[in-house]
Amino acid sequence: MRAAGLAKRFGDHVALKGVDLEVEAGEVVALLGENGSGKSTLVKILAGYHVPEPGGRLEVGGVPVPLPVPTGAYHELGLAFVFQDLGLASGLRVVENLFVGDRRHLGAGALRPISWGGELRRARQVLRHYQVDVDPRSLVRELTPTQQALVAIVRAAEELEAFRRHGADRGPGLLVLDEPTVFLPEDEKVFLFELVDRVTSRGTGVLFVSHDLVAVRQIARRAVILRDGAVVGTRMVAEVSDEELVGLISGQRSMGDAHEGHPATVRLPDQRQLAKANTGALDAGSVVLEARGVRGGHLAGLDLAVRRAEIVGVAGLLGSGSDEIPYALFGTLSAVQGTVAVEGREVPLARLRPHHARRLGLALVPGDRKVQGAALSLPVHKNLLSLVTEHYFRGGVLRHGTMRSVAARRCEEFRVHPRDPDADMATLSGGNQQKVVLAKWLELLPKVLLLHEPTQGVDVTTRAEIYRLMRSLKEQGLAILWVSNDYEELAEVSDRVLVCAAGRIVGELTGEELSRDQITSQVYLASALEQRGA
Amino acid sequence: MLPFAWLLVVVGFGADDPSHFLTLANFSTIFGSQAVLFVLTMALLVPLTNGDIDLSVGSLSGLVSMLVVVLNVEHHIAIVWCCLIGLAAGLAAGVLNGVACIRFKADPFIITLGTGTVFAGLTELLSNEQTITGVSSGLTKVIFTDEFLGIPLEFYFGLAIMLVVWYVLTFTPFGQRALFVGQSRDVARLSGFRVDRIRLQGFVVAGFVSAIAGIFFVGTTGSASPGTGSQLLLPAYAAAFLGLTTIQPGRFNAIGSGIAVYFLATGVAGLELLGAQNYVQDLFYGAILVIAVIISRLLAMRRFGRGTA
Repeated sequence: MRAAGLAKRFGDHVALKGVDLEVEAGEVVALLGENGSGKSTLVKILAGYHVPEPGGRLEVGGVPVPLPVPTGAYHELGLAFVFQDLGLASGLRVVENLFVGDRRHLGAGALRPISWGGELRRARQVLRHYQVDVDPRSLVRELTPTQQALVAIVRAAEELEAFRRHGADRGPGLLVLDEPTVFLPEDEKVFLFELVDRVTSRGTGVLFVSHDLVAVRQIARRAVILRDGAVVGTRMVAEVSDEELVGLISGQRSMGDAHEGHPATVRLPDQRQLAKANTGALDAGSVVLEARGVRGGHLAGLDLAVRRAEIVGVAGLLGSGSDEIPYALFGTLSAVQGTVAVEGREVPLARLRPHHARRLGLALVPGDRKVQGAALSLPVHKNLLSLVTEHYFRGGVLRHGTMRSVAARRCEEFRVHPRDPDADMATLSGGNQQKVVLAKWLELLPKVLLLHEPTQGVDVTTRAEIYRLMRSLKEQGLAILWVSNDYEELAEVSDRVLVCAAGRIVGELTGEELSRDQITSQVYLASALEQRGA
Repeated sequence: MLPFAWLLVVVGFGADDPSHFLTLANFSTIFGSQAVLFVLTMALLVPLTNGDIDLSVGSLSGLVSMLVVVLNVEHHIAIVWCCLIGLAAGLAAGVLNGVACIRFKADPFIITLGTGTVFAGLTELLSNEQTITGVSSGLTKVIFTDEFLGIPLEFYFGLAIMLVVWYVLTFTPFGQRALFVGQSRDVARLSGFRVDRIRLQGFVVAGFVSAIAGIFFVGTTGSASPGTGSQLLLPAYAAAFLGLTTIQPGRFNAIGSGIAVYFLATGVAGLELLGAQNYVQDLFYGAILVIAVIISRLLAMRRFGRGTA
């Protein structure tokens, strides 16, 4: 497979900036990079899911492929995928998912009968052949995550097998694995590695997208490192140290003007009030937020505490559970166990719902702002004051004028651009939307601020403003817990950084240790340790 | 479970009033008179499997029946041609629905609510808001007058359509694709399916089968009147969702929905024999729809557990 100049943008955000990539027959190439570096976008272009920007070229088995890749064409090209979210229909049976690739016939073929008895026998045979103990009649969502991953892997292997049977002259094919080890415990990884060995021995190339350096070392020959949508290096795995790989992955990103310019702190809404809400009877340095034994999703017995006037960052790889922490503590995930306490008021998470969390003094600024944090079709002032609308309902009417002027003041204070409270949220840039969402929650005078990827898709200047805002809130006594995949900013802004692996906090970095490199190596080492220990 | 519920209804009403309820004539009426609703229910299943709701099928079948009658009675076109034109109109309406929903990424619920109302309006326009009778007896003979084992032929045609829909949804790649599209548009796209085309096919099938239902209506009554088609929409949905709870639980399936149609019809017939007023029909159909949806959710929750909703 040979790709050149693949590019993709989502609105203003450039996900891929012209990537060249080659996988030779029988070669395992690892594609490494942080979250959001463009790996999955690349994979989905190959699958014909995303339409790339014009100008790229793609060749599979020496044959040029038109771009965008026609829907479903990847089967004919000998490409097989294990997608990051596996690409299984969870409400359908295993056997149906396993042979979904056979259902693409058009025309009269679409009405050719399927013999479910035969398909079931075939599914049993295939699963037995790969030694996967799964009943093909069960629904995918009844399986454990590991079993689901195995089904997805077996499906890809079978599709390659079928391709080889029917088109020996069309080249050996390519297996694309997008983060396949996230769901797999250590013993099942061996299964994956054996499978990769088996397909490569027949000449099939493998593109292995992963965070998992241990796995990469075990099976890949070459590693291609992607950062911010561009290839920043290609190394032979045998000749490169972990440190060098990690260095390439994390890169030397510019922090922009985080240190220079705009020395003034951002003024906050009702500073006096906020400060008052956060002094109370508690002294500085006392624990405001405490979570104990949090389980559910990827979390497996997580404990953490955040003190008054403290910024605590959380770092972890995909699948470590770090992304779920803010949501678990805010009560938006279902089936979570453990407790959360704010200023000593303890609540079991099983019963915590977002409106309780709000009353406890928690505020959540979610990562996927577009869907979770703001109503894009409503104007800024409606969004900004949406949590405290009742304050403006006086004498039986909603005081729109007052709301507008209050919102205008907030826009000034938070430097929202444009300063127009009547502008629709959708017309604001990502960074400005983020500031509005932050301001919205601060209207409630929370005690704890939970942030998930607050700077994702935000330009450098606005990032710096968000950092200043966080520091300024901290000075006013707020406890801030934030999760980010940008370790540079974690190191820069946090007082402490917690390392999350396998659903628990396994390490903590403070003071001198707070640097991007330290965090990156701790995170990768911790996850490698967890896996080896498992 | 549903077949037993049906049996229970039969036994219950039978015990109450055996001389009227448990007669061949009564069952012939129940089986024969429901063929239009039966076929209309089948029309819903493909779009529902795709995850699309088509609310226009009822008034579309009404429009097609009016079209057939007007062409035959007022323009003296041979009934065969009238039926073919009716089927073509059904296909065209399906394409219209599909393109409007898919090309413009609009919600089928609201689009088909609109197109359905347009179809109802066209029906009134065509008929001058009158019931039109006197359609060629050739059609009524084949559909309604001729009987086999004492039941009008349309019952058997309906069964045949049910078996075809069941076969297509359960045993063909076409049906499998529809299932994946209904489960998750993303998964279907990643599996290499052309989601838009599959959804369009669903709307077209719905249009075509609703047209058949419209022709059955003409054959049954020898006439067409404005407003009849849209009255069938709710019972059709009640049957489709009730079908979700049986035979292949959790999936829209033709056989389950077919049983549901006769369950509903038997219930209504029994209530009417007991002297119930017309409004009972609405109470019954509406309540059954709500209960059917709740039961199917309960089944799903019990099966998959723990707040996945």
